[in-house]
Amino acid sequence: MQDGAALVVEGLTKVFRQQTAVDRISFRVARGRFFGFLGPNGAGKSTTIRMLTGLLRPTAGDAVVEGVRLSRDLLAVKRVIGVLTEELPLYERLTGEEHLLFAGRMHGLDRGEARRRTEELLEFLSLADEQGKLVVDYSQGMRKKLALACALIHNPRVLFLDEPLNGIDPVSGRVVTDLLRRLAARGVTLFFTTHVLDVVERLCDEVAVIDHGRIVAQGSLDEIRAQRAMGGDATLEDVFLKLVAADVRREDLSWIG
Amino acid sequence: MDRLIALLALRLRLDLRALLGARLRLVVLLVALPAMAALSALAGAFAFTLARLVERAQPELLLPLLSALSTLLGAAWALSPLLGGVALSEAHDFTRLLHYPVPLPTLVASSLASNLLQPLTLAQLPPLLALAVGLAGLRPSLPLAAAGLVLAFAFVVAGGQAVGLALHVLSRNRRWHDRALFAGLGLGLLLSLVPLLVLGEHGGPVRRAMGALVEHDVFALSPFAWGVRAAVHAGRGEVPAFLAWATAAVVALGAVFGVTAGVARRMYRGEIDVGGAGARSAARARLRLPGRIGALVDKDLREVWRDPRRKALVMSSLVGPSVLLLFVWQGSGGGGEMKPALLLLLASFSGLSTLGTNAFALERRGLQLLLGFPVERFRILVAKNLGQVLLRLPGACVIAAATLLFAPLVYVPVAVVLLLLTQLLAAAADNYLSILYPVPVPEAGRNPNAPIAGTRGLTAALVSLVAMFGALAVSSPFAFLAWLPYLLGQHRLWLLTLPLALGGAAAVYGMLTAGAAALLARREPDLVARALGEE
Repeated sequence: MQDGAALVVEGLTKVFRQQTAVDRISFRVARGRFFGFLGPNGAGKSTTIRMLTGLLRPTAGDAVVEGVRLSRDLLAVKRVIGVLTEELPLYERLTGEEHLLFAGRMHGLDRGEARRRTEELLEFLSLADEQGKLVVDYSQGMRKKLALACALIHNPRVLFLDEPLNGIDPVSGRVVTDLLRRLAARGVTLFFTTHVLDVVERLCDEVAVIDHGRIVAQGSLDEIRAQRAMGGDATLEDVFLKLVAADVRREDLSWIG
Repeated sequence: MDRLIALLALRLRLDLRALLGARLRLVVLLVALPAMAALSALAGAFAFTLARLVERAQPELLLPLLSALSTLLGAAWALSPLLGGVALSEAHDFTRLLHYPVPLPTLVASSLASNLLQPLTLAQLPPLLALAVGLAGLRPSLPLAAAGLVLAFAFVVAGGQAVGLALHVLSRNRRWHDRALFAGLGLGLLLSLVPLLVLGEHGGPVRRAMGALVEHDVFALSPFAWGVRAAVHAGRGEVPAFLAWATAAVVALGAVFGVTAGVARRMYRGEIDVGGAGARSAARARLRLPGRIGALVDKDLREVWRDPRRKALVMSSLVGPSVLLLFVWQGSGGGGEMKPALLLLLASFSGLSTLGTNAFALERRGLQLLLGFPVERFRILVAKNLGQVLLRLPGACVIAAATLLFAPLVYVPVAVVLLLLTQLLAAAADNYLSILYPVPVPEAGRNPNAPIAGTRGLTAALVSLVAMFGALAVSSPFAFLAWLPYLLGQHRLWLLTLPLALGGAAAVYGMLTAGAAALLARREPDLVARALGEE
């Protein structure tokens, strides 16, 4: 089976009203890897994450997360994963502190442990000064940090992060990326989507590129460069644009003086 | 002018799209428009007849009576943005247009014109014309009477505009927004009870107070009445009085326009500062209830208490039992004691109201967060049902208090047990409906408090009916146990039958909920997808 694999995806497919959002994708992610999942808008990244975290039923295919088959025991999968979705569904009328305490308790932590981790996370993500504020009054960046803290509080084995750095200030961004690196070094698997390609270049051991619901490339950056016959000095942006066959218009708009 | 037309066209297109976007709304529209026309005609006939009858029978009463009516109706209309929470939603939000180079007068004029062109506003014109004819007949003074009434109506519409704008300003601060919303909902609740208080058998003091206010013509001080008073004087051919009241109405209208323009100008220039939301208490947060079920119930209660809409909904659960009790009380002669059977019946049926409330209603888009937690689905459903029961406590307290006041003390635990067991079993039946027919929630990025994106559909309505009978059937043996000592006249038997009824209902609740939890485990991705409108 999946020796050393934290995530095995087998022919995962999602069709919405006759429109195929994700088309028979298969890949595996080794334990402790920082896996970047890239693609243009609407390529199927978020749909894939939602299927892998049990929030959306696949039309076909299956996945195995930390040895647990998704279709067989969803609850067991949810015990070992942490999820940060793009939409950030948070309870707006709780304070940040209450939200984290609640998330900890729902993950089965006892009161004392939930309290300890909450305080550490609030301090770590620079939310301690705002812990008494209701989430409805949080800025977008603060919400993102709180959602990330909720995904981390139970020390998950696999982290699914959909655009985790979007809207976060540069200082917090650095704190978060350093934390994610340390988590990967300790064996946590990170499944990560972003549009910021230089972050992917700095962090990810391996990437998969999805376009129109299909995986068009997978491997380390060097492997993908080699597959596409691109030189070693080609940036990830060059590789990405070539993979998704993006037509970058270079002419000016006619009315711009 | 091009910009004004473009803005009006945009507003019209958005309104039409909102109306025609959903099948159910289209049906409502097809029913609502003819109904609105019929009501308009009816109101016209009523206004005409009222004016004629009072002028003939008691001419001295016409001015105070019309002043009172115009004040009450006008104030209700002007406050409608507050009552309906309209101004707190995106409908009146012209701030999204502020970054375009559109002059302020164009923005304000487009907003006013759009409000005037709404069907509900236009539907008021026939009754106004009918009232003018009722006051002046077809004499030459008819245009003057009509002008007076138009002035009064313009004041009402402008007042509504000013209230809407003021509320929009307040809504920039979340706390003010919450307070205004709660005040509006509370006011709406009180207004809905007014007919009951006035028309009820014991509404004498309220009626007497209203009569005294009309008799002393207190409403002459209300600017809502000034245009109407001008119209009455015009109808009687009293031109100087008409001119005086019409001048007062014009001044009042100008003042409202002045306020509206002033607020709009400050918004336009970005000068309005209503302060930040501010931090809450620095005290340590605690989730006091134990276990995962406790944490979930604790979370729900906190959210409801801090959300004005949901808090108002909880308070409104007082209304149903109170109204029923009032009718039952009046039906029983309004004296000291009520028949205990009536109170027990009320308790039995009030509990069934839990059916159809939707176990996941409080979650909205948080549903995906909740179902992302590795918590046994049985516990989630139990926590949600406990929350539903706790949020109905105000209604339960009304029934318990009424039983305490109007029946011997021994009936209080019986009423409470009946209420509790029917609530539990109705909640168990509701779990199945909540899983099989989820209620759609507003899309991400939209106002989470906006009206829901759709309904459960016709099939769900039919299934709800079946579930209602199912809940009745399942709860009837236990309700019968609770009733039995009353029917036999052996009150001591309650010591035995009440624990039995409650225990039996709890056991059946457990079985039903375990089934619902298994169903939820199988269907939760579909539940999330349907609730969030992804399939």
